[in-house]
Amino acid sequence: MSAIIKHIPSWDVWGWTVVALLVPIAFHRLFLKLSGMLAAQPLSYSTPQGSCVHDQPSQAPFSGDYDTDLSDIEKRIGGNSDVSIRPFTMTRIGARAVLILVDGMQNDRLLNLQMMDYLMSEATPDLLTTADQGALKLPFCNLIVTPGADSFAQSVLFGHAGLLIEGLGKGLLVELPDGMNRQMNEPVSEALLRGPRVGFTEVLSENTSLLRRQGFSEQLEMKSYCVGTRLKKDLVVAYIKDIVNPDLLQEVEKRVSRMNIDFASESGYVEQLIEDDVLSPFQQLQNTERPDRVIHALLEGRVAILLDGTPFVLIAPATFSMLLQSPEDYYERWLPSSLLRLMRFGAAFLALMAPAFYISFISFHPGLIPTELAITIIETRQGVPFPSLIEVLILEISIEILREAGIRLPKPIGPAMGIVGGLIIGDAAVQAGIVSPFLVIVVAVTAISSFSIPSYSAGITLRMLRFAGMLFAAFLGIFGTILFFLLLCSHLSKLKSFGVPYLTPATPFRLRDWKDFLIRAPLTTMKRRPAMMKPQDDRRQS
Amino acid sequence: MFIRTDNKITRSQAIVFLTNTVLGAGILTMPRSVSQAMHTPDSWLAILLSGLLILPIVWLMTRLSLYYPGLTVFQYAGRIVGRLPGTVLGLMLVVFCITIAGFEIRILAEVTMFFLLEGTPIWAIILPFIWAGTYLVSGGIQAIARVYQIVFPLTILVLLVSFGVSLRLFDIDNLRPVLGDGLAPVWDGVKASILIFSGCEVVLTIVGFMDQPRYAVRTMLTGIAIPAVLYLLTIIVVVGGMSLNTVITSTWPTLDLVRSFEITGFFIERLEFPLMVIWLMQMFCNFCSFFFQASLGISQLFRLPPQPVIFALVPIIFLTAMAVDKQKELFALGDIIGYMSIGLFVLLTVPLLIIQIIRKRGRRQHE
Amino acid sequence: MNSRLRVIAMSLLLPVLLAGCWSSKEIEDLALYAGAALDVGMEDETERVLEAKAAKYPRKKKLTATVQIVPVRTVGGKSSKQGGPPHMPYNNISGTGDSILEIFRQFSIRLDQPIIGHHLKVIVVSAELLKEQPIENVMDFLLRDNDIRPSTMVFVSQGPAKDTLVSEANNSVPAFHIMGMIRNRSRTSKVMAPVTLNNIDGLTYAKKSFALQNLVTANGEVEFSGAGIIKGSSGHWVGTLNQMDAEALTWLRNEGSAGVIKAEVRDEPLTYEIKEMKSKISSKVKGDDIEFDVSIKADGRIIEIWDSAAGAASPFTTEETTAVVQKQIEKIMNAFANKLQKKYQADVAGFGDRFAIEHPALWKKVKDNWDEVFSRSKINFTYDVKISEYGSFVEE
Repeated sequence: MSAIIKHIPSWDVWGWTVVALLVPIAFHRLFLKLSGMLAAQPLSYSTPQGSCVHDQPSQAPFSGDYDTDLSDIEKRIGGNSDVSIRPFTMTRIGARAVLILVDGMQNDRLLNLQMMDYLMSEATPDLLTTADQGALKLPFCNLIVTPGADSFAQSVLFGHAGLLIEGLGKGLLVELPDGMNRQMNEPVSEALLRGPRVGFTEVLSENTSLLRRQGFSEQLEMKSYCVGTRLKKDLVVAYIKDIVNPDLLQEVEKRVSRMNIDFASESGYVEQLIEDDVLSPFQQLQNTERPDRVIHALLEGRVAILLDGTPFVLIAPATFSMLLQSPEDYYERWLPSSLLRLMRFGAAFLALMAPAFYISFISFHPGLIPTELAITIIETRQGVPFPSLIEVLILEISIEILREAGIRLPKPIGPAMGIVGGLIIGDAAVQAGIVSPFLVIVVAVTAISSFSIPSYSAGITLRMLRFAGMLFAAFLGIFGTILFFLLLCSHLSKLKSFGVPYLTPATPFRLRDWKDFLIRAPLTTMKRRPAMMKPQDDRRQS
Repeated sequence: MFIRTDNKITRSQAIVFLTNTVLGAGILTMPRSVSQAMHTPDSWLAILLSGLLILPIVWLMTRLSLYYPGLTVFQYAGRIVGRLPGTVLGLMLVVFCITIAGFEIRILAEVTMFFLLEGTPIWAIILPFIWAGTYLVSGGIQAIARVYQIVFPLTILVLLVSFGVSLRLFDIDNLRPVLGDGLAPVWDGVKASILIFSGCEVVLTIVGFMDQPRYAVRTMLTGIAIPAVLYLLTIIVVVGGMSLNTVITSTWPTLDLVRSFEITGFFIERLEFPLMVIWLMQMFCNFCSFFFQASLGISQLFRLPPQPVIFALVPIIFLTAMAVDKQKELFALGDIIGYMSIGLFVLLTVPLLIIQIIRKRGRRQHE
Repeated sequence: MNSRLRVIAMSLLLPVLLAGCWSSKEIEDLALYAGAALDVGMEDETERVLEAKAAKYPRKKKLTATVQIVPVRTVGGKSSKQGGPPHMPYNNISGTGDSILEIFRQFSIRLDQPIIGHHLKVIVVSAELLKEQPIENVMDFLLRDNDIRPSTMVFVSQGPAKDTLVSEANNSVPAFHIMGMIRNRSRTSKVMAPVTLNNIDGLTYAKKSFALQNLVTANGEVEFSGAGIIKGSSGHWVGTLNQMDAEALTWLRNEGSAGVIKAEVRDEPLTYEIKEMKSKISSKVKGDDIEFDVSIKADGRIIEIWDSAAGAASPFTTEETTAVVQKQIEKIMNAFANKLQKKYQADVAGFGDRFAIEHPALWKKVKDNWDEVFSRSKINFTYDVKISEYGSFVEE
């Protein structure tokens, strides 16, 4: 009995027990609350499939009477100064018609010469008697029949040329928006040495056609959705019909069609609204500007999401290994590619953990460094007034500020600023005695390693996490660093992107997928597609 | 189904789960405890024998669990012997898991405070560790198995490299004479080495989570063979590298072996650093496994939702870890755990198995 | 209201985090000591003056501990580019007292940084100290401390140990210098394999006798010379082996990789360079007596002959040369065996270990007074000396 009493802990241990219980509960509640607040609220209905231009039901159908419809449309959009309404008579038929378009969005010459000419001079009366609103008789290849005045008005404002013909009950859209397109340049954020130098542009139709032009296939399918409650935009979900897993496709379509946002300006909005875990620092969809990346992903059984108005295409689902892969790995031979990929993994690890290790060794465990290095460090750190955590934070934050500044500087100054910032400021800091030279090396290695990550969003993630690692290291040395690493692994292992565990293929261990994980096995051995996407047809080579 | 909602683990995950549960504090202390019991350099024989002995034990436990595929021991114990005795048996297992969890954390804190962080108060080491474990265990068995699969290859790699490098100190004469004192010390050694295999009771739980139970026997035997081989390797290298007498007088012999040489000119001059890193990660996995089992047990026995149980166990484990405050008592606790493990086998597995077989035979007779 | 209270309560917990970083100590705030020397208790100048000023504490002055701190602090960071007088890159500080830990803690009232032993490389104990104190007592703290790595090498010194940690050369730290000298032992077999703390731990536990490399100082230079014998039963230093004995010891323990045997032919040296040296000890029991058969093998080349008659056109045959070399080796070995058995009665060459392996049952009976039993046993040497070449100078 006395033995038991001897073992009853003292008061402060009981106190810490209470803390031990309360802290996880507090954190748990906090996370639940935050997730609840931050979770995307899906719409109560799902927008049906179909692009914004056609296939959308209308709230204000055309009445059929020319004057009513015309005055309705004038009421809706006539107040805009850049809308021109050009009424004319179709002389042969004798019916009135009006051409409504927005300045600058149409090619006037085309309209003048061909369309107006035809309509005014050559349209025959039987145009008005056809049941399909003249669709068969009119010589326009891009003819769209709009059911209602609201969609007619929206489409005209979007850039179509609208035609209202007396006698035909519905409005017609006869030209696609034209003008202000940019050339397809090499994407700035994902430059490669070897590979096609094309990138997506802001026009959806060009992007989809870029995808289609990658190869002849009838399996590449695209479905469009009209997203946005106030300012509507087209969004296309692309996949390869006989490879993709139908459940995955269904999940993606469900989430896309229920997006609750008034205006999806960039694919980043879409990404943030359909991802699984808002609070995670890791991105769960991949974004890219390169069509070859998208096509590779589609062939693996993934789904691409293209949004009008942005060159960045989303790919779902994303896993950890995809953050560190580059299409160049596949264009070069397997031996250099494998080594480069291994180096990239090493660089990512360094970018994450190097400052944390530095802090642990300098402040907590001098016994773990080789003796000569320890003596050199002591000699160089004489006179540095700050403890290592503050030192590292000073330099790291300066580098981050420099990096942000470098993005916004004009082109001629940008790279020079990088060099200036890196070398001179670091050197000056050492001369001033604020930091030690060893730290400058560590920070430089970290910064360079984080540049080697092919995906910009992943780079941001690692930069963020690096600071968390530094804090853990400053608390508990190498023990804290290990705890941080384990917490990160735990978080990653709980994270799922559209049902695929984030850490695939590291775990669950599928040997097949390892051919493409740390190394890149020769193409002849990669006979099957990655199992993690559970594709229907998984043979690449027959 | 694209999204796996079932709570199953694959075969390789089950192997790694069992290995990580068994491989724990034993790696550091086992050479000394066994050598102290034997006082001869035949400790490797003792480990070999106990490794061979543990195989049929694991096999028996697997066969018992296979009678009720998909169910853990907490669920089917009640079915075999009735609700109340089943709950009692389950509670025994839960108490065992909590004790081991607290013990492992305490050992971890001691080693950390001794080698890495001297001035830190012990609760600052234990509490973040338990909280990190809580975060992982809340993710369910799949998340836990995934983290194990990441840590496991790292552990094996660093262990093998450390041993490989310490072969420079290896002297075969340190392991001789073989059987100089006969077989009696070997038997003492076997008794002392049972502790290192405690934790194999997790077999009773994870067979229920396997997605392909027909491979269960093979998987579990592989899972216990790996730590057995690693322990054998450890004791051969440690006793061969430092002689028997040094091992007896050293508190953490494996670490002392790695600390007793330096590879000058290599990047990591002091090899104890990677060894400590992977040992810490391994202890984390170990701890989470027992934590998970305990919380699973309580939630399944009393039909409670798992998350509050996990939170409730945190202070209990903390108290268990803090209850012992002297090093000698700590190692005595380790021995007690070894006996508890044997006791559990005798009191839990064997009766359940026998009763199950009797009932099955009885049922067959009825048909 | 409730939620605000909760928020306040939680934010009150945050400052707890500020109390963290308990073990954090910047590396430049630490004093690493790379070498330690233990002597018989005798205060140095500074201490005597301090004691005269009544700065003392109760102690019996059993030993003096000196630590060698590297690197030396310079104020303000960078060392001045223009020279001042070149200073030693190390700093020795001594203290006298009874317990090593107490002495080290006393340093903290004289230094401004705590001393840490993570990078301790070399421990030198003076023979005088080991005559008074058994080695277990002296080594006890060093073995228990968690900072000090078990790979630290232990030496014995002929004179005061603290003199070995002083060197005239300007840029070398004596502790590192000694460590580097050990690395040089591949050239000669007169240097024993280093004995680390790990080895001492096991040897003292089993009360075995062993030998420690001996250090001799002169004019600020340190030399490895012979070995000091520590007797297992008492733990005291009982005597030295000279350099030839150290060579024999290394040979018998199979720890040598190269060496030199100098024989004399008509008063002129004949030098034999050993490329490979091996020995094998086996034991026999004859009734109550123990007999050891030692086979010594050497393979090498003749590298220097001064005798003109044994030169290029000499009638000296290989057999005769071999016999000369073998005789020299015999002399060394017999002298060594004699010393071990008659003079010191200590088995430092590992005869006991071989016996334990080959006759374990008998070993249990004799191990407690093995040193006496060993001195009574008979040692037979057999030799196998080969001369494989004569260098680039051809003999007929």
